Amino acid sequence: MSAVDPASETRRHEPVEFDPVYLNARREAIVVFCLWLTALIWAVPFCYLNGYDYDPESFSTTWGVPTWLFWGILVPWIVADVFTIWFCFCYMKEDDLGEAHEGADLEEEIVEMHEGGTGAGQ
Amino acid sequence: MNAAAIPFAAIFADGSSNAALITFLIYTLAVFGIAALSNRLMQSKSFLSEYFLGSRSLGVWAFALTFAATSASGGSFTGFPSKIYTHGWVLGLWIGSYVVVPICAMGLLGKRINQVARISGAITVPDVIRDRFHSARFGLIAVCLIVFFMSFNLVAQFKAGSLILKTLLQGVTVFQDSAVALSNTTSGIDFLQAIDPQYLLCLLVFGVAVVVYTTYGGFHAVVWTDVMQGVVMVVGVLIMLPLAIVEVGGLGNATRDMAKMTPPRIGVVSVARDDPLAEDGLIPSGTWLKFDGEGADRPRLFRVSKSVVFKANETVTDALPVVEITTPDEIDRLTTGESAVEFDRELTLLPPFDPEDHQGTVSLTVSSPRDADLIIPKGTWFQYETDRAGTTHVIRTAQRAVIPSGETAAEKIAVTRPGSKKGVAAARAALQAHPSPGGVDVESESIKPCAYVFGKKKPGVYVTGPGPHPTSDSGFLPLSLAVSFFFMWAISGAGQPSSMVRLMAFNSSQTLRRSIFTVALYYSAIYFPLVIIFCCARILIPGMDAESDRIMPAMAVFLTENIGLGWLAGLLVAAPFAAVMSTVDSFLLMISSALVRDIYQRNMNPEATEKTVKRLSYLFTMIVGTAAMFGALNPPQFLQDIIVYTGSGLAACFLAPMVFGLYWPRSNVQGCMAGMLAGFGAHLSMYVGGIVANGSFFDPYRLLNFDPIIVGLFVSFATTYLVTRFTPPPPWRLVQKYFHKGGGQLKD
Repeated sequence: MSAVDPASETRRHEPVEFDPVYLNARREAIVVFCLWLTALIWAVPFCYLNGYDYDPESFSTTWGVPTWLFWGILVPWIVADVFTIWFCFCYMKEDDLGEAHEGADLEEEIVEMHEGGTGAGQ
Repeated sequence: MNAAAIPFAAIFADGSSNAALITFLIYTLAVFGIAALSNRLMQSKSFLSEYFLGSRSLGVWAFALTFAATSASGGSFTGFPSKIYTHGWVLGLWIGSYVVVPICAMGLLGKRINQVARISGAITVPDVIRDRFHSARFGLIAVCLIVFFMSFNLVAQFKAGSLILKTLLQGVTVFQDSAVALSNTTSGIDFLQAIDPQYLLCLLVFGVAVVVYTTYGGFHAVVWTDVMQGVVMVVGVLIMLPLAIVEVGGLGNATRDMAKMTPPRIGVVSVARDDPLAEDGLIPSGTWLKFDGEGADRPRLFRVSKSVVFKANETVTDALPVVEITTPDEIDRLTTGESAVEFDRELTLLPPFDPEDHQGTVSLTVSSPRDADLIIPKGTWFQYETDRAGTTHVIRTAQRAVIPSGETAAEKIAVTRPGSKKGVAAARAALQAHPSPGGVDVESESIKPCAYVFGKKKPGVYVTGPGPHPTSDSGFLPLSLAVSFFFMWAISGAGQPSSMVRLMAFNSSQTLRRSIFTVALYYSAIYFPLVIIFCCARILIPGMDAESDRIMPAMAVFLTENIGLGWLAGLLVAAPFAAVMSTVDSFLLMISSALVRDIYQRNMNPEATEKTVKRLSYLFTMIVGTAAMFGALNPPQFLQDIIVYTGSGLAACFLAPMVFGLYWPRSNVQGCMAGMLAGFGAHLSMYVGGIVANGSFFDPYRLLNFDPIIVGLFVSFATTYLVTRFTPPPPWRLVQKYFHKGGGQLKD
């Protein structure tokens, strides 16, 4: 990109249609981030409130695992796996990622080099 | 079978384990076979894209397992089991964010980074950055940061791999003979003199193996060996899990026993024998010693944690490192009944340290050399002032020290510092009665309490948070660190360039969807089961707290010997070795791709022929690997710390620019470059702050008790956003190319 393309500059203010792969990927990333946040908000406070003080009378295990860890991590782990299955097979869109333009960036630089441009130097 | 009866130092050494050694060797040979096959794949494809990115053709199994195996790293099978053994069930929370790691690490950036790399033809992570922002300068900064962090990490991983191999081969005759032969061969080379020949041999074997198969096979070799290594890891864990639970009599039993446990004491003791030995004899690691104190309810129990030579013609050996079991039920179990251990009958334990004592090592120095050796007998009292607090302490030497004539310092010696009020008063009185020798100073002390600072005498500490800790008074996992680790694994995992490059290599979004699911199941099958297995190890193999890095191979041998399948140990102990290999090979390729593609081809000679690029790729991969091997000859001391520093540092630099660059059309080169540098600076400043606040670079300053990764990520994201807002928007063509429908087809 050696110079600003006037045609594209005029189009700058026209309404644009975003790439659907970008939109899908962004929406999916937001869902993933929310899942991480939910896991953090559940697991750490639950374990801290229930598993950071030992009382021999009330200490219990579930399936051999300390109960605070069972409900704080093990059950959420299973829930997260179920969520992952839903996310992968029901929510995430099947998108065409396009053909790889192998060597395109290099070709562009060679052209710029021969044109005496500044290359990719911003 | 009793755990104490197994010679853990000799994992492949005893007769029944020949099969284990053979299994391990077959596994290693298979790695070379895969490299050879991968090289054939390269014959008819675009070399660089194939060598560094596998032609973007990875299917589900290859992509999922290479991603999982690279992320797992050696730490999962050495450091993690060691931590579980040392701190107990709280490691379930420590690793808790692995609940969402697969979906975060692959789902946050995966689809988009793969698409952007396809649009621009990018092969490496700096390529993506350079193309996305059309900035050579930004690309070069990214290259420099990758080479900086990964070089340190690579050296540390080489050391880890060599140490694991050394642990596995201890006691194997062929190995010992080869180490001696190597030592003789290198006797004329000065800089190799100080290196342990066994370590050197392992480094050469490990290093040459990894460098050769990575150089020859490129990305496909790395991926397919990762697949094999990934399978080995999960099979290893799934075999060990039921064996461990059965052996311990059910997980509920193990947890109830752990609930009664109190942390051990770690220190040194002296032992005596009635008749001196004619030749030097060995007190092996794993030897059990008992001290029956007068009037005590039960004996004190110690396990030797490091082999020590009992010298010929002497009757006493000092400074023998031990772990003392402190749980009453466990002492009863180990002294009577079916699980009783065998005590060494020839050695008599001299009165051991007081439970409140501190122990460690010091250097004794004199201001100027003397004409004759200065001998300082065991039991000499000294007074010294600690550097930081300026407090005065009294210590007693636990072994004899000699300052040779003509020198000013003795070798480091073990000392004891009384910890109880009564002990301190007695020590001060003793010092007055027996003053220390004039002109001798105490220097560079490293003295810690024998008992754990957090958790001593507290039952329940192994089944609740924050978990016991030998030196920290807030325990192993205080709340702030629990939050930090949720960031560390899930979010910083997404910010690793080695993960990003894999995200550029899958062939379709269908592969990505299936792979996220596969990795989620894979991690579920590995991480929580590891917590269960090594909690059981606390019951099955007591007293390994001072050598817990070896708990994984020790447990593998213990479980397989018990069911008479020694060969299986070979496969199980191959898991940590596999994990390190799969991390090292991908890092090696990252660095060489940075040099060949990002520096040479894109900055120096874009018109280089494919033949030149091919030769340089082979050459640089070999040079980088060999250089890392040389670096590991004199390896850094803080192995795990370097791995943590580089991993979190890379995330602090790369995550924010990548997230903004991929998802925010308004993001520009100024903002993202500033965010990358600010993340680097903020993260580094926490470590530099550690030198001032805690006296060590690797004990970083923790702002509000949070790990430096949180500070680094926060600063990086905030800087990227603010600088972008206050600088001009990016060129319209770039926005069109990467964000608009059909933009990927645009030609500049």
